[in-house]
Amino acid sequence: MPRITIDGTVYEFEGRPKLLQFCLDHGIELPHFCYHPALSIPANCRQCLVEVGMPVIDRETGKPKRDENGQPVIQFMPKLQTSCSLDMADGMVVKTHRTSEKVARAQRDNLEFLLINHPLDCPICDQAGKCPLQIQAYKYGPEGSRFEFLKVHKPKRVKLGPRVMLDAERCINCTRCVRFTDEISKSHQLTIIERGVKNYPITPPGVEFDDPYSMNVIDLCPVGALTSIDARFKARPWEMSATPSITITNAKGSNCYYWVRDNLIVEITARANAAVNGYWLPDEDRLDYHRFNENRPDGPEVRRDGRLVRVSWEEAYDRAVELLAGIDGRRILFLGSAYATVEDNYLLKRLAEALGADTPVYIPHIEPGHGDGWLRTDDRTPNAQGCQRLGILPVDEALVRSRLESGEIQAIYVLEDDPVGSGLFTAEALADIPVILHYYNTTNQTLVVADVALPAATVVETVGTYVNCDGHAQRVRPAKAIRTVNRVLMQEIGKSRLDQHGTPYDRWYNEKHQVDCKPSWEILPEVAERLGHPLRYKGPKYIMQEIAETIPAFAGATYEAMGLEGVRLAEIGAEV
Amino acid sequence: MADFIKKPVVPLPELHPEPQIPADQLFFTEEEKAKIARFKEQYLEPAGAVMKTLWLAQEKFGFLPPEVLQLVADELGIPYAQVYGVATFYTQYYKEKKGKYVLDVCTCFTCQVCGGYDILHYLEEKLGIHKGETTPDGLFTLQEVECLGACGSAPVLQVSNGPYVHNLTPEKVDQLLEDLKQGKLPPFVSLTLPQDEAELGGNRRSDAEAVESYRTPPIAHHTR
Repeated sequence: MPRITIDGTVYEFEGRPKLLQFCLDHGIELPHFCYHPALSIPANCRQCLVEVGMPVIDRETGKPKRDENGQPVIQFMPKLQTSCSLDMADGMVVKTHRTSEKVARAQRDNLEFLLINHPLDCPICDQAGKCPLQIQAYKYGPEGSRFEFLKVHKPKRVKLGPRVMLDAERCINCTRCVRFTDEISKSHQLTIIERGVKNYPITPPGVEFDDPYSMNVIDLCPVGALTSIDARFKARPWEMSATPSITITNAKGSNCYYWVRDNLIVEITARANAAVNGYWLPDEDRLDYHRFNENRPDGPEVRRDGRLVRVSWEEAYDRAVELLAGIDGRRILFLGSAYATVEDNYLLKRLAEALGADTPVYIPHIEPGHGDGWLRTDDRTPNAQGCQRLGILPVDEALVRSRLESGEIQAIYVLEDDPVGSGLFTAEALADIPVILHYYNTTNQTLVVADVALPAATVVETVGTYVNCDGHAQRVRPAKAIRTVNRVLMQEIGKSRLDQHGTPYDRWYNEKHQVDCKPSWEILPEVAERLGHPLRYKGPKYIMQEIAETIPAFAGATYEAMGLEGVRLAEIGAEV
Repeated sequence: MADFIKKPVVPLPELHPEPQIPADQLFFTEEEKAKIARFKEQYLEPAGAVMKTLWLAQEKFGFLPPEVLQLVADELGIPYAQVYGVATFYTQYYKEKKGKYVLDVCTCFTCQVCGGYDILHYLEEKLGIHKGETTPDGLFTLQEVECLGACGSAPVLQVSNGPYVHNLTPEKVDQLLEDLKQGKLPPFVSLTLPQDEAELGGNRRSDAEAVESYRTPPIAHHTR
């Protein structure tokens, strides 16, 4: 196997990897700006320079020459090489800044050049704190600048499109954004204009940067030149904690980070997962966080004298049971939800089985023409596939409507959905029968007919599993705290210190903006138990374990296996 | 900061530019299309022909407003943004309407040392315009450009992407403007670098003789 020596350590490699990617894969940090694994390699930032040499081959014997100590003679290339574009070769010897003063000097001087026209507005820059230029200038850069002249001025605060703001002075012309629009999103909306010190990326005249994936350039930008208009000046990176999770805007379940401050979701950024979304996230997913912050309910309510009245959770459970107890189980319609987790739907199905009701059905939310065959789908729910794998199928609208009209359905139990808002039933049709509703937002139109309204935890507050449209099962973790104490959520929520349950550095830690809601996997067992059907689990992890063991469509989807990247489940048709 | 308060967000410039070439004139003839097709054949990718095609378009339309860039992009089948990037890179491509004669005064290192800025400012005063502007009669546009590659005869200016005027002095500039006003373009001039300073009395400027044909043979003597 070919070998390469990097800073005196020998590594074996296969194929012809690029040196920079190989180093990054092996934990050898090299500073770089323009290189991105998903994009072409222009090698224009000149930051990843290394010294590279090859053993000298004796032309007569065809063997490497050796010096008097028996060591191979290495001939170094006269100039430093950009490691990002360098193909590795057998016997290559590489010196990084750790062993070569020349390389360290080159990297330092290159940073001095990059910073010559870079404005020192880090204190007001959104990127400060997560800025590769800032970090690498601290680590590898010079102590100061010798440039004491006027900096070049370029357009600032240019609104490139509805979602992206450009500050051309901060740009270091790495061209990542241009390459993204050329190679990944293929919208070709950006280009570098002018030349020399004056150049910067912008759209050509008459073109707006309205690419549905435009905000990815904000993640790509290694400086603060491209910032999000939505998140601008809202919070600094160190004021937020980031929780790895998935977005629920559509059925793709793209991986993301939820950035939280004071229990509000401030920003959603992409998280790399080669099996689902690569490095990218559509704009609609990034901007779809208001549903977690706004119009959230405040505790459970029951209907008394025609009005919803705030009660304790116990009273709400009791009322729900009181309404359900008198009704034959077969006459209760259980509506599952493609918004809810697999665990929640499974518990609902178990409850329905215990009461002798039909298997729950779910309301599909399909928006034809919305998908683009990439990261946006027609299906606007995150877990339709998970429901189907559980045997919860799309509702037959005509059938349930006629059953409701004929009086066959005498109660409805809705899990985290909105049958009135989605047009399945009219509010009048449900007025006379008990409706028990788990819901996320007070904009839910079924609330006007709900007899028991139970606020449910959203994807950023719960623990659970979602299955995307390709059958990729992924876990979600709580990003923010809810008001009620739940041991499982407390264990799962991200903590900055392992020895303490939350510190002020965990941005869910304070009590602001906590919503009085509960995950459905906590509500459903409470209701089931009061109806005389014990449904106790130690937590969603154990529910999922049972699902993975008993339902073949979920084989292998345990929490341990899913981890951060998820598990690709077998095709549904495969086991049939 | 005050500027920021006044203009917290700068909109994109020219989001809906007014077309400057009438729509009925905005096309390539069959002959030009055939030419562009030949350009394309010369390169591996159609994008390679962008510079020649832009040049052709500039000769046809006089300058390159956005709608012409779009026309070039469509003709070559490459992104509009890419054509725009190329066009803005070169000062020789005119992105807006220029005067009849464009005076590109070099102010790069050598010309700067030899008085390039003096010539530029002299022209600014004489024409009553600033660099980058066009005289009201539409005759002259004055531009400051980077190295024209004639450092040996600095300071230098170029007229309308064509002939150079070497070893500029205010008198030469006056003469040039007079000639241009009468529609007389300066001739092509080839200059050799002074070989021996002592022989030329230490004057590197004016003793070099100008001819209107290539004096330096294209291939060096010793390589023949």
